[in-house]
Amino acid sequence: MAYPFSLIVVFFLGLSAMIPWRCEAGMLPGPGGEALRGPDDPTRIVSLAPSITEILFSLGAGHRLAGATDLCDFPSEATLLPKVGRFPGPDLERIVSLRPDLCIALKNVNPADLLDRLGTFGIPVYVVEPKDLSTTMETILELGRLLDAEASAEKLVGGMSSRVERVKSRVAKTGSRPGVFLQIGVTPIVSVGSHTFIDELITVSGGRNLAQGPVPYPRFSREQVLALQPEVIIITSMTRGLVFEHVRDEWREWESLPAVKNQRIFIVDSDLIDRPTARLAEGLEMLAGLIHPELF
Amino acid sequence: MNHRVVKRTLNVSVLLCLVLASSAVLGLFTGSTGQNPWEVLALITGRGDPDSVTASIIWRIRLPRVLLASMIGATLSLGGLVFQTLLRNPIAEPYVLGISGGSAVGAILGILLGLSRFPGVASFAFAGSMLTLLLVVSISSGQSSVRKDSLILAGVMVNAFCSSIIMFMVSLTRDSRLHNILFWLMGDLSITDQKQVLILFGVLLPCFVVLFLFANSMNLLLMGEDMAAGMGVDVRLISLALLGTTSLMVSATVCHSGLLGFVGLVIPHLLRLLFGADHRVLIPACVFGGAAYLVLCDLVARTLPAHGEMPVGVVTAMIGAPLFIFLLAKSRR
Repeated sequence: MAYPFSLIVVFFLGLSAMIPWRCEAGMLPGPGGEALRGPDDPTRIVSLAPSITEILFSLGAGHRLAGATDLCDFPSEATLLPKVGRFPGPDLERIVSLRPDLCIALKNVNPADLLDRLGTFGIPVYVVEPKDLSTTMETILELGRLLDAEASAEKLVGGMSSRVERVKSRVAKTGSRPGVFLQIGVTPIVSVGSHTFIDELITVSGGRNLAQGPVPYPRFSREQVLALQPEVIIITSMTRGLVFEHVRDEWREWESLPAVKNQRIFIVDSDLIDRPTARLAEGLEMLAGLIHPELF
Repeated sequence: MNHRVVKRTLNVSVLLCLVLASSAVLGLFTGSTGQNPWEVLALITGRGDPDSVTASIIWRIRLPRVLLASMIGATLSLGGLVFQTLLRNPIAEPYVLGISGGSAVGAILGILLGLSRFPGVASFAFAGSMLTLLLVVSISSGQSSVRKDSLILAGVMVNAFCSSIIMFMVSLTRDSRLHNILFWLMGDLSITDQKQVLILFGVLLPCFVVLFLFANSMNLLLMGEDMAAGMGVDVRLISLALLGTTSLMVSATVCHSGLLGFVGLVIPHLLRLLFGADHRVLIPACVFGGAAYLVLCDLVARTLPAHGEMPVGVVTAMIGAPLFIFLLAKSRR
């Protein structure tokens, strides 16, 4: 009885990996499917993601923002903006009450249903899809074009690009690729697989992501991590606090680990390595410094 | 129906209708943004500016939500009442025959496939609940009659199996869809618009009417199948009709709102304590009383937290359980 049922479940799970998401990047179409044009000079923008808020401020367009999510915390001026609820699922009523002339959202992160409903209220929605370093830079340029800030965008991306190239060229000088285990979850232990920002940053900064693989956020048992023998363990501070010092102490009990022997267990600010903004360059430099201290 | 019962039914219905109406108006006044109450009053009485942001919020966000909450509250309470009578079991609730498990599995599949809430996820949820219902009924009806004990057992087992599938799917899900899934599982009234509300009303109203017509038969069923049969009730036919109608209406609401717990269990008992056990009074009471209850709980869920909202299911349990215990204790003295 259960056997054919579970086959069906597995079939649908496989299917879900292949079915493309509904909305395309760029300006979302209106409720009837018609192409919508955003305002030429938007002055009441509501940002639906912390990374978008950050990018807008870094482009000098922070004054155009009329609202942001509760997690929009960088730069500090962003915390003063009126809040539209939680990220990634903000509150429709609060967004509508701010009378925005444009909303900017993250494809596949902000709920598609919400974005469609914004369209029915006549609010144009622009979606971006930064997936890695190069698409993040493209997103910054895109938003620069959208908001009449091309010069700032090009300068910003130019700076990011040269920092990335600098890291790449230094890393190319050495053949060593230490095994890195980057932990984003405590209970259970969760790391990052391929096709994530963090994986790319680890690889570019000259490390080997030990959790590489098709599962984007794979879980590990402690045994499995021990078997991987990581040379560097990096723990991200998704929530600030003492918990992560405790996590580091737990790893220190396993003296056979190369990372413990060489005292290479570090705690880093997760915003620098998983938010698709200009600060990824800073995150990259930081990781490079931890993985290859001899080069940086 | 005799004169006294008619009068009592009308009294109770009018009373609870008034409670519902005031809750609904209160629901329009409150929300996550502080709209000016005078402006809201003007809009409701037809005087305000129809193009303002407040009008958008009131008519297109809050009103559909209040209407949805009232319909779901009515359906779940009525569903709980019918199942408690049909199965002659006081802890029966609308999801007991596998509807919750089946619709949740269907909805999660829909969400994982990236479908929108309506009609995509809703259709999957509906299909799931109908399939599990068929499964439960076919497991439990060895003979031609519908046997209540095996129904409950089959329902519990199917729900348990579906729970394990749900856990499995949840454990494999990536971040953004997980949020969506969890909110569906906890009961979520936030995704709705006027069109959906109308469609749902069109499905539910006939079900309410049909169930009201069976009120007297339900009174007799409570006395036991043999007694009822002796009084001329076609037990098998009535049971199937009640089962079918109730499952249909509960599945239809679960598609829109996810699994809102506690309403179907507590409200029938509450109203029974207040108004007695006659189904001719209880059915309209459950419709209006259940509706008012969920509208009020949704109001609390929307306004209490500073950012975003609480799941409505949390509020229904936090308010319902103590209220019920209080009334139960009071009735014992």
